[in-house]
Amino acid sequence: MARGRKRGRRKSRRKVVRSSFPWLRLLLLLCLLLAGYTVYLDLQVRQQFDGKRWSLPARVYARPLDLYVGRELSADQFQSELRALYYRPVKTATQPGRFSKNRNVFHVVTRPFTFWDGEQGSASLRVSFSGNRISALSDAGSGRPVNLARLDPVLVGSFYPAHNEDRVLLKLDDVPVSLTDALIAIEDRGFYKHHGVAPLAILRAFWANVRARGVVQGGSTLTQQLVKNFFLSSERTLTRKINEAIMALLLEWHYEKDEILEAYLNEVYLGQDGNRAIHGFGLASHFYFEKPLAELNVEQYALLVGLVKGPSYYNPRRHPERARARRNLVLDVMADLGLIDRDAAERARNRPLEVSKQGRKAINTFPAFLDLVRRQLQRDYRDEDITTEGLAIFTTLDPQLQWQLEQTLASGLQNLEKGRGSEIGKLQGAAIVTSVQGGEVLALAGGREPKFAGFNRALDAQRQVGSLLKPAVYLTALEQPQRYTLATLLDDSPLTFTARNGTVWKPGNYDRVSHGKVPLYQALAHSYNISTARLGLDLGIDSIVATLRRLGVEQRLNPYPSLVLGAVEMSPLQVAGLYQTFASGGFLTPLRAINAVLAADKTPLQRYSLSVRAVVDPAPVYLVNTAMRYVVREGTGRALYQVLPEDWDIAGKTGTTDDLRDSWFAGFSGDRLGVVWIGRDDNASTGLTGSTGALRIWRDLFRHFGNPGMGQSVAENIEYRDIDPATGLLADAGCEDVVQLPFIVGSAPSENAPCARGEQPLPNPVDWFKELFQ
Amino acid sequence: MLAGIPVILLLLLIQGCSTAPPARYPPPVVEQGGAAPEEAVRPVVPGSIQTQPVPPAVTTTSPAVIALLGQAENQANNGDLAAAAASLERAIRIEPRNPLLWYHLATVRLAQQDAGQAEQLAAKSNSLAAGNRVQQSRNWRLIARARQALGDTTGAGAAERRARELEGR
Repeated sequence: MARGRKRGRRKSRRKVVRSSFPWLRLLLLLCLLLAGYTVYLDLQVRQQFDGKRWSLPARVYARPLDLYVGRELSADQFQSELRALYYRPVKTATQPGRFSKNRNVFHVVTRPFTFWDGEQGSASLRVSFSGNRISALSDAGSGRPVNLARLDPVLVGSFYPAHNEDRVLLKLDDVPVSLTDALIAIEDRGFYKHHGVAPLAILRAFWANVRARGVVQGGSTLTQQLVKNFFLSSERTLTRKINEAIMALLLEWHYEKDEILEAYLNEVYLGQDGNRAIHGFGLASHFYFEKPLAELNVEQYALLVGLVKGPSYYNPRRHPERARARRNLVLDVMADLGLIDRDAAERARNRPLEVSKQGRKAINTFPAFLDLVRRQLQRDYRDEDITTEGLAIFTTLDPQLQWQLEQTLASGLQNLEKGRGSEIGKLQGAAIVTSVQGGEVLALAGGREPKFAGFNRALDAQRQVGSLLKPAVYLTALEQPQRYTLATLLDDSPLTFTARNGTVWKPGNYDRVSHGKVPLYQALAHSYNISTARLGLDLGIDSIVATLRRLGVEQRLNPYPSLVLGAVEMSPLQVAGLYQTFASGGFLTPLRAINAVLAADKTPLQRYSLSVRAVVDPAPVYLVNTAMRYVVREGTGRALYQVLPEDWDIAGKTGTTDDLRDSWFAGFSGDRLGVVWIGRDDNASTGLTGSTGALRIWRDLFRHFGNPGMGQSVAENIEYRDIDPATGLLADAGCEDVVQLPFIVGSAPSENAPCARGEQPLPNPVDWFKELFQ
Repeated sequence: MLAGIPVILLLLLIQGCSTAPPARYPPPVVEQGGAAPEEAVRPVVPGSIQTQPVPPAVTTTSPAVIALLGQAENQANNGDLAAAAASLERAIRIEPRNPLLWYHLATVRLAQQDAGQAEQLAAKSNSLAAGNRVQQSRNWRLIARARQALGDTTGAGAAERRARELEGR
């Protein structure tokens, strides 16, 4: 019966619809959940990728080496600078970062670099050396002489964020096409075609893995790998794979292929350096080959591309055979795809790995100086900015002087210990070298082991300065030319001073002898305590404190007589700041370790400019500096000229504290000021005076610096007179002992010394000399 | 302000040792700034320590510094005073005691509205220019302008007078 059948069918259809409803609802719910989850993931993706700034550590650079004819620089020093810059020696230099050498003539092709005063392009230079100077400088191509050229600056350190992330950021344009092509060929051939996930690749990989019963192939696209590195941890679960897939699709949906590729090139994990992870091809290039990416050869690119699959497994330093095989596989693929021609591939396959030894970076590590830089930066920047914003910090450090200082301090301390038969390793030291006129910190040592980032004695060791303070006392006196000149006789006879509170002060000379009447310049030259103490009391302690304040000393100063003999604690850096004012002719020149700071995009953020402030009249400073010349000519510092040439113009002061706990020497010559301190961390006696200790190290250091050049300028209102030192009065040919001393005009003695027979005046020294040759 | 560079350079190049004739107590010869001083004749007085600075021979400013001065002038004329200052600081590293460089740095600071530092730098130039009356008078003129900018009219007047004295007027 037709009707019955029809009814049956209708009934069964209704039954089907009713029973499938709950499944539909469930499916709909699942879809909604999935959609919601996707939106959540989408937000994450965009948030991370849009605002993506990698934490870039700050790069700290030394001063760039200026090249010009006449500059004091030896061929060896030039070569060591090139080495620190990782310039490669080649037969013919044609690319940036290469140099060739033929006896004393170098051909260098410099790297382009953006300094704080603008961009500098690559230059091909011919540099000739003769007798420790640059004798010629020209453009290697045209032969035209060049007035001034500059190398890119040595990288001397970085400030890393807490989690030790590090990057050398690359723009896609900076990356050679052959590298990206090779990368895509090896890791994700369909990169430009897929939408984030490549299902066929996954299937292929799945099948390969099943057959091999293990994970031999990844089906991940570059996009998926980027997601993995970027967002998620490294678990290998199914949920993670699903998340990864969805996020990869979302990433592709929002961003261009090139943006994704660029992010990948900067994010991919390529190795480990202690607790520093090596992310990105830019950093990896430096880590494995000590060169920027642009300077690598094709087989070196191939190695890096090969590392993507497993940086530990293919670590070229630990597993060179595996690394080589993997590299050659990449080269084969490149040849197959026509990215390089077969011959080039064959040559590349046969080349050795040429990976640098790890840890070579240590030669450019100067922790004590970096410490100073960081402290100066912290005045203007937060720690977070310093370590994550990719700042470029241009400092005043001179690597040549720094290397010399580190070596001299270490060997000097060891020699002092050996010479005295003391236990090796007990003495410690610190030293600073600055430029006199500019106030730039050129070299800094915080201890005898320069690579050890421990207690920074140069900045933090507060030690009694002893006689180092005397020049300030004498300056106070010499600022009153009507009362005191260099010829004024001071009283070195025994002194007992009773303070108002009843305490008795009885200073003694180091040689335990009192010297009667001594001319002022000799009292400073020989560092007589008694005459200095008496002078200080005559001047009044307050006036000495005022002088010290003017000279820039900010320490707490106890206004007691003992101040005169140096009962003040200062760090070596602070001592350098004090002596800077003397050396610069009375101009307070704040010491700088930084010249400028650039942001990651090379815009200038800050300049730390040269600034000076006249705090003392140049004339009395000139007089004190003259007395400090006598210190090293005939006074406590005369051991200097046992080694250094007599015609070098040097001024300085030794410092020794009670029980020989501290040995100091502060001295300047030409445009260099150096302060050396020796002491023990346990504050026990060193057995060294300023003269037998710190001075030796200063002397060795300045011997390596070479001829200091012209001496100090004479101040304007100064005149010289011949003086009889015994009486401090005018001398002439009738006197046995004669010194030529400078005086502020109008302050010289007018009386003749008894020995002066009133005869004809002493011959003009120039005439006398000419007579010798007539 | 840096327009006078060509004139000054010319003066530098043709100026020899400018000093008073040797007196009884020879004052050290003034320096004109220079990169590679030649060995000088050393007079020796019998029986005394020669602690006077060695009188240098005639020195000329190095081509590197001249190049930087030119660069600074261009930069200043283009309004990039910070760059001009950087060029001058670079020149000072090469010839730290060349008073001309400190003078030009002072003029840049004045243009940057830092009259205080301009005065100090001009004073520094003076301290390096003993015997060089031309440079000293230029420095005093600059000091006068700086003091004027700081509102110190009396001081400015005094500086002007010093300048005129040095110019022999």
